[in-house]
Amino acid sequence: MTQVTRENNRAVVQPSGDTIVAATLPELRLTMRDIVGEGVRDLVIDLSGIRMVDSSGIGLLIATYNSMRKLGGRLAVVNASNELLELFRSMRMHQHFSVTGN
Amino acid sequence: MTHAGRFDCVLHRSLAATVEAVEEFFVEFHRRSQAMMERVNCFEAELLVREALANAVAHGSGADPRKQVQCWLRLRGKRLLIAVADEGEGFDWRAARAKSAGDLDCSGRGLEILYRYANQVRFNDRGNLVTMIKDFDKRNCHDTSNEGK
Repeated sequence: MTQVTRENNRAVVQPSGDTIVAATLPELRLTMRDIVGEGVRDLVIDLSGIRMVDSSGIGLLIATYNSMRKLGGRLAVVNASNELLELFRSMRMHQHFSVTGN
Repeated sequence: MTHAGRFDCVLHRSLAATVEAVEEFFVEFHRRSQAMMERVNCFEAELLVREALANAVAHGSGADPRKQVQCWLRLRGKRLLIAVADEGEGFDWRAARAKSAGDLDCSGRGLEILYRYANQVRFNDRGNLVTMIKDFDKRNCHDTSNEGK
Protein backbone atom coordinates (compact mmCIF):
# COMPACT_ATOMS: atom_id res chain seq x y z
CA MET A 1 0.00 0.00 0.00
CA THR A 2 1.33 3.41 -0.91
CA GLN A 3 2.36 5.41 2.16
CA VAL A 4 1.36 9.08 2.34
CA THR A 5 2.61 11.44 5.04
CA ARG A 6 0.86 14.80 5.22
CA GLU A 7 1.89 17.97 7.02
CA ASN A 8 0.01 21.18 6.27
CA ASN A 9 0.31 21.74 2.50
CA ARG A 10 3.10 19.21 2.15
CA ALA A 11 2.81 15.51 1.38
CA VAL A 12 5.40 12.78 1.01
CA VAL A 13 4.38 9.76 -1.05
CA GLN A 14 6.23 6.48 -0.82
CA PRO A 15 4.87 4.12 -3.50
CA SER A 16 4.29 0.50 -2.56
CA GLY A 17 6.27 -2.33 -4.08
CA ASP A 18 9.51 -1.91 -5.99
CA THR A 19 8.23 -0.87 -9.42
CA ILE A 20 6.21 1.93 -10.99
CA VAL A 21 5.13 0.23 -14.19
CA ALA A 22 1.95 -0.39 -16.16
CA ALA A 23 0.68 -3.05 -13.75
CA THR A 24 1.18 -0.97 -10.61
CA LEU A 25 0.13 2.37 -12.06
CA PRO A 26 -3.65 2.44 -11.35
CA GLU A 27 -3.33 2.53 -7.54
CA LEU A 28 -0.60 5.16 -7.58
CA ARG A 29 -2.47 7.26 -10.12
CA LEU A 30 -5.52 7.37 -7.84
CA THR A 31 -3.35 8.31 -4.86
CA MET A 32 -1.71 11.14 -6.79
CA ARG A 33 -5.07 12.41 -8.02
CA ASP A 34 -6.43 12.47 -4.47
CA ILE A 35 -3.40 14.29 -3.10
CA VAL A 36 -3.40 16.94 -5.80
CA GLY A 37 -7.15 17.37 -5.28
CA GLU A 38 -6.65 17.89 -1.55
CA GLY A 39 -4.75 21.08 -2.21
CA VAL A 40 -1.24 19.88 -1.41
CA ARG A 41 1.22 22.43 -2.75
CA ASP A 42 4.51 20.74 -1.95
CA LEU A 43 4.56 17.13 -3.11
CA VAL A 44 7.53 14.84 -2.57
CA ILE A 45 7.70 11.38 -4.18
CA ASP A 46 10.13 9.17 -2.30
CA LEU A 47 11.52 6.43 -4.55
CA SER A 48 13.77 4.83 -1.95
CA GLY A 49 12.04 1.45 -2.35
CA ILE A 50 11.68 1.61 -6.12
CA ARG A 51 14.10 -0.17 -8.43
CA MET A 52 12.23 0.15 -11.76
CA VAL A 53 10.15 2.87 -13.44
CA ASP A 54 9.06 2.35 -17.04
CA SER A 55 7.77 4.87 -19.57
CA SER A 56 4.23 4.67 -18.19
CA GLY A 57 5.59 5.44 -14.70
CA ILE A 58 7.53 8.37 -16.10
CA GLY A 59 4.29 9.51 -17.70
CA LEU A 60 2.58 9.47 -14.30
CA LEU A 61 5.36 11.51 -12.68
CA ILE A 62 5.11 14.09 -15.45
CA ALA A 63 1.31 14.17 -15.31
CA THR A 64 1.59 14.80 -11.56
CA TYR A 65 4.09 17.59 -12.17
CA ASN A 66 1.79 19.15 -14.78
CA SER A 67 -1.12 19.09 -12.31
CA MET A 68 0.98 20.57 -9.50
CA ARG A 69 2.29 23.30 -11.77
CA LYS A 70 -1.22 24.30 -12.85
CA LEU A 71 -2.11 24.73 -9.19
CA GLY A 72 1.03 26.68 -8.39
CA GLY A 73 2.56 23.80 -6.45
CA ARG A 74 5.90 22.02 -6.54
CA LEU A 75 6.96 18.44 -7.13
CA ALA A 76 10.21 16.82 -6.04
CA VAL A 77 11.35 13.25 -6.68
CA VAL A 78 13.83 12.05 -4.06
CA ASN A 79 15.91 8.98 -3.26
CA ALA A 80 16.03 7.70 -6.83
CA SER A 81 18.61 4.99 -7.53
CA ASN A 82 21.53 5.87 -9.78
CA GLU A 83 19.95 3.94 -12.63
CA LEU A 84 16.64 5.75 -12.25
CA LEU A 85 18.43 9.10 -11.99
CA GLU A 86 20.18 8.43 -15.26
CA LEU A 87 16.89 7.40 -16.88
CA PHE A 88 15.06 10.49 -15.60
CA ARG A 89 17.85 12.79 -16.73
CA SER A 90 17.92 11.18 -20.15
CA MET A 91 14.20 11.97 -20.36
CA ARG A 92 14.98 15.59 -19.33
CA MET A 93 12.75 15.45 -16.27
CA HIS A 94 15.36 17.23 -14.13
CA GLN A 95 14.98 20.31 -16.29
CA HIS A 96 11.44 20.77 -14.98
CA PHE A 97 11.41 19.54 -11.39
CA SER A 98 13.83 18.41 -8.74
CA VAL A 99 15.05 14.84 -9.18
CA THR A 100 17.64 13.66 -6.66
CA GLY A 101 19.29 10.40 -5.70
CA ASN A 102 19.79 8.44 -2.53
CA MET B 1 17.22 -19.49 -18.82
CA THR B 2 18.36 -22.64 -20.56
CA HIS B 3 21.66 -23.26 -22.28
CA ALA B 4 21.25 -23.76 -25.99
CA GLY B 5 23.66 -24.02 -28.86
CA ARG B 6 26.01 -21.12 -29.39
CA PHE B 7 24.18 -18.96 -26.87
CA ASP B 8 24.98 -19.06 -23.16
CA CYS B 9 21.36 -18.59 -22.14
CA VAL B 10 18.10 -18.68 -24.02
CA LEU B 11 14.61 -17.86 -22.83
CA HIS B 12 11.51 -17.93 -25.01
CA ARG B 13 8.04 -17.37 -23.65
CA SER B 14 4.63 -16.86 -25.17
CA LEU B 15 2.39 -14.80 -22.92
CA ALA B 16 -1.14 -13.44 -22.95
CA ALA B 17 -1.29 -9.78 -23.93
CA THR B 18 -2.00 -8.43 -20.45
CA VAL B 19 0.02 -6.37 -17.96
CA GLU B 20 -0.51 -9.15 -15.40
CA ALA B 21 1.12 -11.71 -17.70
CA VAL B 22 4.03 -9.30 -18.20
CA GLU B 23 4.56 -9.16 -14.43
CA GLU B 24 4.43 -12.97 -14.22
CA PHE B 25 7.06 -13.06 -16.95
CA PHE B 26 9.34 -10.80 -14.91
CA VAL B 27 9.06 -13.05 -11.87
CA GLU B 28 10.57 -15.77 -14.04
CA PHE B 29 12.98 -13.30 -15.65
CA HIS B 30 14.44 -12.43 -12.25
CA ARG B 31 14.53 -16.02 -11.08
CA ARG B 32 16.27 -17.24 -14.21
CA SER B 33 18.56 -14.29 -14.83
CA GLN B 34 20.80 -14.92 -11.82
CA ALA B 35 23.40 -16.35 -14.20
CA MET B 36 23.46 -13.06 -16.09
CA MET B 37 24.00 -10.85 -13.07
CA GLU B 38 27.76 -10.65 -13.30
CA ARG B 39 27.77 -9.90 -17.00
CA VAL B 40 24.89 -7.59 -17.71
CA ASN B 41 23.18 -4.63 -16.15
CA CYS B 42 19.86 -6.17 -15.22
CA PHE B 43 18.18 -2.77 -14.86
CA GLU B 44 18.92 -1.93 -18.49
CA ALA B 45 17.99 -5.40 -19.70
CA GLU B 46 14.70 -5.32 -17.80
CA LEU B 47 13.89 -1.79 -18.96
CA LEU B 48 14.36 -2.74 -22.62
CA VAL B 49 12.26 -5.88 -22.28
CA ARG B 50 9.57 -4.02 -20.34
CA GLU B 51 9.23 -1.28 -22.93
CA ALA B 52 9.10 -3.74 -25.82
CA LEU B 53 6.51 -5.90 -24.03
CA ALA B 54 4.46 -2.85 -23.02
CA ASN B 55 4.28 -1.73 -26.65
CA ALA B 56 3.34 -5.24 -27.80
CA VAL B 57 0.64 -5.62 -25.14
CA ALA B 58 -0.91 -2.13 -25.20
CA HIS B 59 -0.45 -1.00 -28.79
CA GLY B 60 0.10 -4.23 -30.71
CA SER B 61 -2.58 -6.28 -28.96
CA GLY B 62 -4.96 -3.76 -27.39
CA ALA B 63 -4.38 -5.61 -24.08
CA ASP B 64 -6.59 -8.40 -25.46
CA PRO B 65 -5.93 -11.52 -23.32
CA ARG B 66 -6.90 -13.77 -26.26
CA LYS B 67 -3.83 -12.52 -28.13
CA GLN B 68 -0.31 -13.77 -27.55
CA VAL B 69 2.97 -11.91 -27.31
CA GLN B 70 6.25 -13.72 -27.94
CA CYS B 71 9.47 -12.81 -26.17
CA TRP B 72 12.93 -14.22 -26.87
CA LEU B 73 16.07 -13.45 -24.86
CA ARG B 74 19.44 -14.78 -25.95
CA LEU B 75 22.66 -14.01 -24.11
CA ARG B 76 26.10 -14.70 -25.49
CA GLY B 77 29.03 -13.29 -23.57
CA LYS B 78 27.98 -9.74 -22.77
CA ARG B 79 25.67 -9.41 -25.77
CA LEU B 80 21.95 -9.73 -25.10
CA LEU B 81 19.54 -10.17 -27.98
CA ILE B 82 15.92 -9.32 -27.24
CA ALA B 83 13.04 -9.97 -29.64
CA VAL B 84 9.37 -9.25 -29.00
CA ALA B 85 6.55 -9.99 -31.44
CA ASP B 86 2.80 -9.49 -31.30
CA GLU B 87 -0.17 -10.52 -33.46
CA GLY B 88 -1.23 -6.98 -34.23
CA GLU B 89 -1.30 -4.94 -37.41
CA GLY B 90 2.03 -3.35 -36.61
CA PHE B 91 2.74 0.36 -36.77
CA ASP B 92 4.67 2.89 -38.79
CA TRP B 93 7.84 2.77 -36.75
CA ARG B 94 9.65 5.06 -39.17
CA ALA B 95 7.13 7.84 -38.56
CA ALA B 96 7.09 7.14 -34.81
CA ARG B 97 10.88 7.30 -34.70
CA ALA B 98 10.84 10.68 -36.40
CA LYS B 99 8.76 12.34 -33.70
CA SER B 100 9.69 12.37 -30.04
CA ALA B 101 7.59 13.16 -27.00
CA GLY B 102 7.75 16.69 -25.65
CA ASP B 103 9.37 17.02 -22.24
CA LEU B 104 6.00 17.42 -20.52
CA ASP B 105 3.98 14.95 -22.58
CA CYS B 106 2.56 12.16 -20.46
CA SER B 107 3.21 9.38 -22.99
CA GLY B 108 5.29 8.51 -26.02
CA ARG B 109 8.66 7.70 -24.42
CA GLY B 110 8.76 3.95 -24.95
CA LEU B 111 10.53 4.07 -28.30
CA GLU B 112 12.91 6.77 -27.13
CA ILE B 113 13.96 4.50 -24.26
CA LEU B 114 14.55 1.58 -26.65
CA TYR B 115 16.74 3.69 -28.92
CA ARG B 116 18.59 5.24 -26.01
CA TYR B 117 19.37 2.05 -24.11
CA ALA B 118 19.88 -0.52 -26.89
CA ASN B 119 22.90 -0.55 -29.15
CA GLN B 120 20.78 -1.66 -32.07
CA VAL B 121 17.01 -1.56 -32.63
CA ARG B 122 15.33 -3.11 -35.67
CA PHE B 123 11.69 -3.50 -36.60
CA ASN B 124 10.31 -5.77 -39.27
CA ASP B 125 8.65 -3.86 -42.07
CA ARG B 126 5.14 -4.37 -40.67
CA GLY B 127 6.18 -3.17 -37.25
CA ASN B 128 4.96 -6.05 -35.10
CA LEU B 129 8.40 -7.51 -34.35
CA VAL B 130 11.20 -5.62 -32.67
CA THR B 131 14.70 -7.01 -32.29
CA MET B 132 17.28 -5.31 -30.10
CA ILE B 133 20.90 -5.91 -29.28
CA LYS B 134 22.40 -4.71 -26.04
CA ASP B 135 26.16 -4.95 -25.64
CA PHE B 136 26.99 -4.62 -21.98
CA ASP B 137 30.67 -3.95 -22.58
CA LYS B 138 30.02 -0.91 -24.78
CA ARG B 139 28.54 2.47 -24.17
CA ASN B 140 25.17 3.00 -25.79
CA CYS B 141 25.76 3.87 -29.43
CA HIS B 142 22.68 3.24 -31.49
CA ASP B 143 23.24 1.65 -34.88
CA THR B 144 20.56 2.68 -37.37
CA SER B 145 22.32 1.37 -40.44
CA ASN B 146 20.11 -1.68 -40.95
CA GLU B 147 16.81 -0.63 -39.47
CA GLY B 148 13.85 -2.37 -41.03
CA LYS B 149 15.84 -4.67 -43.27
